[in-house]
Amino acid sequence: MARICIPLLIVLFILSPVEGQESDAARDAGLRELIMGLASDSRDVRRETIHRMAGTGDPRMELVLEDFRTGRLILHDSKMVIIGGEVVYDEDYVEYIPLSDLLTRDPIAGLDGKQTMTPINEVEKVAASRKERRLISRVRPLLRLESKEPDVRLAGVKKIGDSPDISGARERLERIALEDDVHKIRHVAHESLALMQLHESRQSGSADNAISAINKLGELKTIRALPRLTEVLEEWPEREDRTRVVSSIQATIGVIRDHQRSVKVVSNIYQGLSLGSVLIFMALGLAITFGLMGVINMAHGELMMIGAYATYEIQRLFMHLIDQGVITQKAYDYYYVFALPVSFLAAALVGYIIEILVIRHLYRRPIESLLATWGIGLILIQLVRIQYGDNIGVNAPSWARGGMEVAQDIVLPYGRTYVIALCAFSLVMIWALMNRTRMGLLMRSTMQNRDMSNSLGVNTGRIDRFTFALGSGIAGLAGYAWTLIGGVTPDMGQKNFIVDSFLIVVTGGVGNLAGVICSGLGIGITTKIIEPTEIGGNTVGAIWAKVIVLILIVTFIQFKPAGLFAPKGRTADV
Amino acid sequence: MFDTPKLTINLAQKKADSRRRMLITIIFGFGLFGIPLLYFTGMVGIEKINMLGRYMCYAIMAVGLDLLWGYTGILSLCQALFFSLGGYAMGMYLAHHGGPEGIIDANNWKLPACFYVVYPYKVGELPGDALVPWFWKPFYWMPVTLMLGLIIPGLVAYLIGWFGFRSRVRGVYFAILTQAITVAFWLVFCMNNMKLCGTNGLTRCNSMLGFEIANENFKFVMYLVTLFALAGVYVLARSIINSRLGRILLAIRDDENTLRFLGYVTYKYKLFIYVIAGMIAGLGGMLYAPQMGIFTPANMEADKSILVVIWVAVGGRGTITGAILGALGVNLLYNFFTSEKDFILFRWQPEYWQFVLGLLFVSVVLFIPGGMVDLGKKYKDLIKSIMPGR
Repeated sequence: MARICIPLLIVLFILSPVEGQESDAARDAGLRELIMGLASDSRDVRRETIHRMAGTGDPRMELVLEDFRTGRLILHDSKMVIIGGEVVYDEDYVEYIPLSDLLTRDPIAGLDGKQTMTPINEVEKVAASRKERRLISRVRPLLRLESKEPDVRLAGVKKIGDSPDISGARERLERIALEDDVHKIRHVAHESLALMQLHESRQSGSADNAISAINKLGELKTIRALPRLTEVLEEWPEREDRTRVVSSIQATIGVIRDHQRSVKVVSNIYQGLSLGSVLIFMALGLAITFGLMGVINMAHGELMMIGAYATYEIQRLFMHLIDQGVITQKAYDYYYVFALPVSFLAAALVGYIIEILVIRHLYRRPIESLLATWGIGLILIQLVRIQYGDNIGVNAPSWARGGMEVAQDIVLPYGRTYVIALCAFSLVMIWALMNRTRMGLLMRSTMQNRDMSNSLGVNTGRIDRFTFALGSGIAGLAGYAWTLIGGVTPDMGQKNFIVDSFLIVVTGGVGNLAGVICSGLGIGITTKIIEPTEIGGNTVGAIWAKVIVLILIVTFIQFKPAGLFAPKGRTADV
Repeated sequence: MFDTPKLTINLAQKKADSRRRMLITIIFGFGLFGIPLLYFTGMVGIEKINMLGRYMCYAIMAVGLDLLWGYTGILSLCQALFFSLGGYAMGMYLAHHGGPEGIIDANNWKLPACFYVVYPYKVGELPGDALVPWFWKPFYWMPVTLMLGLIIPGLVAYLIGWFGFRSRVRGVYFAILTQAITVAFWLVFCMNNMKLCGTNGLTRCNSMLGFEIANENFKFVMYLVTLFALAGVYVLARSIINSRLGRILLAIRDDENTLRFLGYVTYKYKLFIYVIAGMIAGLGGMLYAPQMGIFTPANMEADKSILVVIWVAVGGRGTITGAILGALGVNLLYNFFTSEKDFILFRWQPEYWQFVLGLLFVSVVLFIPGGMVDLGKKYKDLIKSIMPGR
């Protein structure tokens, strides 16, 4: 094999550049010629041109068609060009349009070397009619089939199955279904082919054809075929072959529904895992400070909010740096990595200040600390609200968008995976800190017996400050992680998290990492499993899920008042 | 051997008690004679009277919380929930008798206007088969409403208390648990398909027992009714505290375990006072609804319950007078600080109120744990420490 291939490759390598260049230039010229057809007066010619443009399979044609559709295509010097930027005014308020090339998308240089401008009233716009706009959106998937980008190709392959009346699509799909490098694309191509077959059989009324398509869809477990199948189920004419078609459709729908359900369960569990991770982040800090200092920190949710806003600030900083030209657009994605330590430190710093100003006067007075920290929370919320307004947007970096498809239709979003991984990593770090370092030793000793540690020379005040800052920093990380999952508002901590994370601490048992992890994951996953469940035709929904989880917790506390992992001892107070 | 210190404590306590009783007498006296005098001479408008009436409803709720927190040591963050349950009972009565006339369902019940405004149809889109839900019907009659407005908060309090106290959930755990329950209730009351009018709340109330609630005389009468209710609640609270039961409650606050080992079934006492506090809050809510003319789920948001705690803390935890004083004082402060006004150097914005409130939370806890009623003593101590001779 290699003996034949290598010489062949060499030959190809030698031939290709020259061959490629020549054919590229020639092809571009041909394409330009073809596009001129859009300016024709005849409706038929224009339609024919659109079809032929789609037939070329050149991905650049999609852009041109899009320009045509949105009216950015203009005729200038009997050449087709596009509007390449914002309209500019001169002193007399004459509007000038900058021009760019059709295919390369580069500005067209005028005689003075600058981009050519033309007054707006001298250009002839080449605009599409309503019918043509519809045609374009139908044929656009065809162009995507040839794209080098797998994602674009996938979108095209998928789209073609959804609107199955484009001429010339079938042959290409069949080729893609057999030859494409990516397994997912081959799979989707098969699905689209089966959908097309179903559509054709509906038009021709051939039952055998329809049943074979339906069975194929069942084998492929195509979720997006469900609406199409129910349509066929309703519309198939009353003939003697109806029963056969109906029974095969019902069997297929059953198969697909089962598949859909299992996909949903997996994705719900995954959502629960990531929600649980954020809750664990929150509850960890609470559990540590409550276990160590006997202080209930109601401002913990606000520390989380500070972490989220620190992330936002870093994002703004990076945007600013890009505007200034200090860093490139590519570096933008790293803002999220950079925001990790910043959000931790910001929240830790605020926590440290709170400790010095207020908390240290309130040791072992949990109820008073509850009130005072609630007040601190109010102040922090209002400060942030006055500074930032009510809603901000943190954009997930591009690497956190999308997801990994581990099995058919089961997509695990990168963002949530990152959150879970971050949580696991932090847990390991905290465990190591508590159990493998000197600081951790001192923390544990202070937690077990403050007076004894103090008399043995432990500076408990310093330990407290450190621990409180650590707990606050972890809350900041929770806010940082949350930006990938949900929205950021000034009162996010108070409204959505503080009560839940305290319930986790209560359920898990105070001062115990394992308890926090178990109850955090348990509550997160239980919530997300209950939410989409259907009872008597009604979905439970977020609110009732919360109520049910609360009832479960209250019932649980009846049997284990000190939580899952209660500290063992003989004290009467639990 | 134990008698001598006890006697001195009692003497000091009695002195403080009589001072407080004087204070509360002055407050009630001013409410009963001073305010009406000012009103009839035209020095305060009916809006102010109405506002005071509403704040006294809050004070009633605060007395309930003080019984729990100040005297029994139970921090409950459910107080606003019980208040709202009472408020909803009265609000439903008002909704039955308010709003535009006309929409009658198949069983000859008039649909409350606010009901079809929110759920599930807009005005004029009501289908013929919409019915008044069964749980709305009892609230058509005033006596039933009054009874249910006390029974429902009491019942909910009983359930919460039974689950909480029996398994010995204490201190902050109980506070967190009750807050979670309040949040859950709030979420459910906000749902449109619960047929409780969603976040819009009970609106379009305009008459009660045949009187227009927007009428000035009605508002003034409601003010007096609330004043008497507050006085009644004060007397009730004092009689509970001075009874043998009150002693046990104090003992629970100070050392529940010892009491338990002595053979008292403490959770029953706690349950009793919890239900009483819930019903007192329900009474406050029932008086609040007609004075406000609207009742929304915002009244049971989580921070409302914490606000009640801060009123009591500001006024003076463990004294009924302090609870009343704190509720009125903080709310008057709120009224003062939530309007735009010019100070010498800068312009005060209503949203700065949150800072005042936050600082109030922190400073009360840190600097005046005894609350406002303790300030006089503190002042005396200060004088004494500066000038020991006096």
